[in-house]
Amino acid sequence: MTLTPYQIVTPLVSLIAITYAWSLVFRRKKTLWEAVLWSLFWGMVAWFALQPDVVGYLAVVTGIQDRENAVVITFLGILFLLVFTLVIRIEELEQRQTRLVRQMALKDVGMEGKKKEEG
Amino acid sequence: MKIVAVIPAYNEETRIVSVIRAAFAFVSAVIVVDDGSVDRTAEVARDAGAIVLIHPENSGSGAATMTGVEAARHLKADIIVTLDADGQHDPKDIPAMLQPAMEERADIVFANRFGQRNRIPLVRRLANGMGNLITFVVTGRWVSDSQCGFKVFGPKAVAQLDLRMSGFEYCTEIVRESVQHHWHIIQIPTKVVYSEYTMAKGQSFANGIRTALKILLRSFLR
Repeated sequence: MTLTPYQIVTPLVSLIAITYAWSLVFRRKKTLWEAVLWSLFWGMVAWFALQPDVVGYLAVVTGIQDRENAVVITFLGILFLLVFTLVIRIEELEQRQTRLVRQMALKDVGMEGKKKEEG
Repeated sequence: MKIVAVIPAYNEETRIVSVIRAAFAFVSAVIVVDDGSVDRTAEVARDAGAIVLIHPENSGSGAATMTGVEAARHLKADIIVTLDADGQHDPKDIPAMLQPAMEERADIVFANRFGQRNRIPLVRRLANGMGNLITFVVTGRWVSDSQCGFKVFGPKAVAQLDLRMSGFEYCTEIVRESVQHHWHIIQIPTKVVYSEYTMAKGQSFANGIRTALKILLRSFLR
């Protein structure tokens, strides 16, 4: 079996992602369950790379068989990634705003100072 | 043990006073977090004897709950009880909810509105069932009433709780925290009173779907 560069790189990336997920478990930032879900997802990505026949089966099921469809799907994937990045950014901003609102509320009742003394 | 009640509230001027008064029978302090209300919630809560923190902007029940938890930590609370401000919970259930935490049998006690005969509208049963299912998929832990705002946090949970989600999805985050920190959990059947008022205040189905998507997304972002 001859492996293409894609078939070598993708499983390696998956392996790194899975290793990273489990390292987060050991650092107590991720739960065991989340690491399992993450491993399943990346395992599937690696599986698709190594077993192109599976994607062939998906092509039959979904009807994405010609090049034009593949281009559309690729751009949808890129769009999805962009939206995903934006959502992450919005979430971060929302968290920052919440922290500010909380600090203001605590400060109003004189509780912020106490926290600093304790810390 | 110092027990503090935390009540996140948004436009609850007509209900909150009775909730505060009822809670005072079982706790040493009541903290109300007014989450950007446009009515007199903060004023009436203060008159009823609660410590009131005001969010200048509506930030969501998760954000308000965490603000209340921070304030309770400043008061050196050993145990925190969280209650909804709309009066749907029966404060008489508080002692039964507190007991496992006081006896150190549980780090977190979940109320279970489905654990006894309660008149719960079908829409609410379905929405809560979906919430439980999503919570299970995301966290791997089954909680019979994961979306209920009535909870008791023992000393370990009070020290470790760190909520980052602002909206209703914080309930799922609490279950995740219980898994993450290996908290012992106990679920207690409690009474619930649904009225037209509480139904109108609750989550809509569309909001539930949005919450579900946010939960799934967050689980991947961590």
